[in-house]
Amino acid sequence: MSESTYTVPIGPQHPALKEPENFTLTVDGEEIIDVKIRLGYVHRGGEKAFESRTYVQNMYLIERVCGICAMAHQLCYVNNIESMMEIEVPPRAHYIRTIVAELERIHSHLLWLGVAAHEIGFDTLFMYVWRDREISLDLMEEITGNRVLHAANTLGGVRRDLSTDIISKLRKGSKIIRERAEYYKKIGLTEKTILKRAAGVGILPYKDAVELCAVGPTTRASGVKKDVRKFDPYSAYDEIPFDLITYDSCDVAARIYVRVDETIESTKIIDYAISHLPSGPIGVKAPRSVPPGEGVSLLEAPRGEDIHYCKSNGTDKPERYKVRAPTLGNWASMARMLIGGYVADVPITLAAIDPCMSCTDRMTFVDANSDKTWTWSLERLRKHAKKFYGR
Amino acid sequence: MIEVLKLLIIPGIFFLFSLALFYQWLDRKFYARLQNRYGPLHTGRQGILQPFADFLKLLAKEDIEPKAVDKYIFRGVPILFLTISITALFLIPMSGIEAFTHFEGDLIFILFIMSLVAILAFLGGWCSTNRFSTIGGLRAAVQTLGFEVPLAIAFIGPAILAQSLSITEIVRWQAENNLWAIALNPLGFGIAIIALLAELEKIPFDIPEAETEIVAGWQTEYSGRKLALLRFSFDLELIMAAALITALFLGGPTGPISVFPGIIWFLIKATIVVLILSNLRALFARFRIDQMVSGSWKYLVPLAILQIIVLQLILG
Repeated sequence: MSESTYTVPIGPQHPALKEPENFTLTVDGEEIIDVKIRLGYVHRGGEKAFESRTYVQNMYLIERVCGICAMAHQLCYVNNIESMMEIEVPPRAHYIRTIVAELERIHSHLLWLGVAAHEIGFDTLFMYVWRDREISLDLMEEITGNRVLHAANTLGGVRRDLSTDIISKLRKGSKIIRERAEYYKKIGLTEKTILKRAAGVGILPYKDAVELCAVGPTTRASGVKKDVRKFDPYSAYDEIPFDLITYDSCDVAARIYVRVDETIESTKIIDYAISHLPSGPIGVKAPRSVPPGEGVSLLEAPRGEDIHYCKSNGTDKPERYKVRAPTLGNWASMARMLIGGYVADVPITLAAIDPCMSCTDRMTFVDANSDKTWTWSLERLRKHAKKFYGR
Repeated sequence: MIEVLKLLIIPGIFFLFSLALFYQWLDRKFYARLQNRYGPLHTGRQGILQPFADFLKLLAKEDIEPKAVDKYIFRGVPILFLTISITALFLIPMSGIEAFTHFEGDLIFILFIMSLVAILAFLGGWCSTNRFSTIGGLRAAVQTLGFEVPLAIAFIGPAILAQSLSITEIVRWQAENNLWAIALNPLGFGIAIIALLAELEKIPFDIPEAETEIVAGWQTEYSGRKLALLRFSFDLELIMAAALITALFLGGPTGPISVFPGIIWFLIKATIVVLILSNLRALFARFRIDQMVSGSWKYLVPLAILQIIVLQLILG
C-alpha cells in the first residue's frame, strides 16, 4: 500500500448497512481504489436445518430465508418439490401464486425505493413511498392472512382462494399503486438533487454485468435482458404478457427507474391475472415423501434470480437443500460498482443492489495463501470461542 | 435593574429558551406533516412539550466520555456553542427597533460568530477521535467555505441600503423609510435562506451529520448533558437564522399596524421564516460535499454579486 492510500472499514456495524457485513475500502482521498468484502456475520445455518425437517415443515422455514422475498423463496421451493413429485398444479393456483408474487415485487421495490431515498437524505420521498407500500401489504393480508410471511403456498396449490370482494380490492389497489409509481418516476426523472446523487454513480457497464453474472434489476439497469419470468417461465408467466424493463445508463439512477417501471409492470400483470383468472380447484393433494432424485428451480425474486437445489433420498426429509439467494449473485458486481467512486456515494451504491445479507450469508474458513477451505463443527466453534474470550 | 430584567425575561434568556423549544416543535411538526406523518403528539397539547421533555431526558442521561478524547476541548465545545449562540441573539433586534446591545459593525460580528460555530464543530469532531466525528468535523469546516462568502455578500445588500454595518441601524432605516429590504434584495433574500440552511446543517446541506453516511457526524461521541446543550444550541441557531432574516430583509420587529408591540411582529415574521426553512428541508435530497461547495461558488456567489451590482445601479 502506498502512502497516499488508507483503508476505511464499512461495517459490520455501520449506519448505511441494515445488516452486518464488512466492506474494507482502500481509498485515496475520497476515491475508492479497492474493495474487499467479508461475509458470514449473520449465517443462520438454514440449509442444515432443512435437512432435519419434513418437506411440509420446510415450506414454512424456507420463507424465513428472507423476510421481504418470503413468497419468492417459498414459490421457488414448492415449484422445485412439485416438479420432483411430478404433480400438476391447477391453473387457478398458478394465477393466485402469480398475483401474490407480483404484489410482493411491488412491496419489495417500493421498500427499496424508500431506503434508497433515505440513503441520499431524501426523507420526504422515503415517508411517501412507505405509506403507499402499505397498500400492497394490506392486499397481501387480505389474500393470504399475513402481511409479511405470507405462507400462501402449499405443496400442490395455494391455501386460500380469491373471493370477488378481494378481486375488486386488488383492482382498486393496483390502480392507486400504478398512479403513485408513475408519480415517483416523474420525481426521479426531474428532481435535480436525486439526479445529482444517482446519475453517473455506481457504474456497472454492460460487459461487466454479463461477466460478473449480475442478477435482477441490477443487471437489467445495465441493459442486459435477463429475467427468469421471460426465459424460463413458471406459474402463469407464460400466459401473461408483460414487458421486460431494461435501461442502459448503467448507474444508480437506472436502477431506480428499472424498479419503478417494474412496479408499474407488476400492477399490469395483476390486472391481467385477475381479469383472466381461470376457475377450478386451487390445489391438489400432494404425497408426503419425494421420490429419490435431484431438482433445481429458478425464479425471479424481486432482487433477482433465486436458485434452489434439492437432493432427495426417498424419505419425507430432504437429504440436502441449497439456496442461492439473489444477493450472492450481485456481490462481485457490487465491488466493481464501488471502485472508482467516492466514499460519500458508498451508501447509495451499496443500497442500489438491494442487498439482503442474512439470505445470502455463507460460513467457511479459507486460507487465502493456499486456497484451502474447511468447516468447523458446533463443538469446535464453542471451544474456539472459549479460548478466544479467555474463559 | 430594568436592564437585568430585560436580559432575563424579554428578549432575554427565558424568552429565548421557550422560543427555541417552541421553534423546534414547530419545525418538527411542520416537517412531519409535510411528510404525511404526525410528528410529536404525546407530551402536552399536540406534543408541544416534546422538545422540553427531550431536553430534560438528555440532561438526566448518562454522560459518556470516551477515553481517547481530548477532555478540555470535548467538554468546552458544547458550553462555548451555547454561549456563542446566545451572544449572537442579543445583537439582533427582537422586541423593538434597538437590539439589547448594538454597535457599529455588529453585522460583521455576527458573521464572525457563524464562522466560530463552524470552527467549534470542527474542533468537536476532531477532539472526539472517532472516524465518523473526524469526517463530520472536516465536512463542517469545508461546508463553511461554501456558504460563508455568499451569506456575507447577501447581508451586505441591506447594509448598503442603510449605509451602516449595524443590524439595529438597518432595522431603523427600514422602519423610517417604510420599505423592507427584501423589496430591493429579493435575490439576496433567497441566497441568505439557502446559505442559512447550510449554516444550520439542514437538508439538503446536512452533510456534516449525514445520518446514513457518518452516523451523527461530528456529534457522534456526544451524549447526555453535552448532547442536550448541543441540540439546544442548534435550536438557538434556528432562532438566530430566523431573527437575522427578519431583521435584515423583512423590516425587523415593526409592522403596518403599530398597535401590536414589536415582539408580536417579530414572532409573526420569524415564524414564517422558520416555516420556509422547514418547508425547504422537506423538498430535497442531500448533496455531496463537493457538489455543495462547487455549486455554491458556481451559482450562489455570482448571483450574490449580481444582486449587489443591481442594487448599486438602482440606488444610482
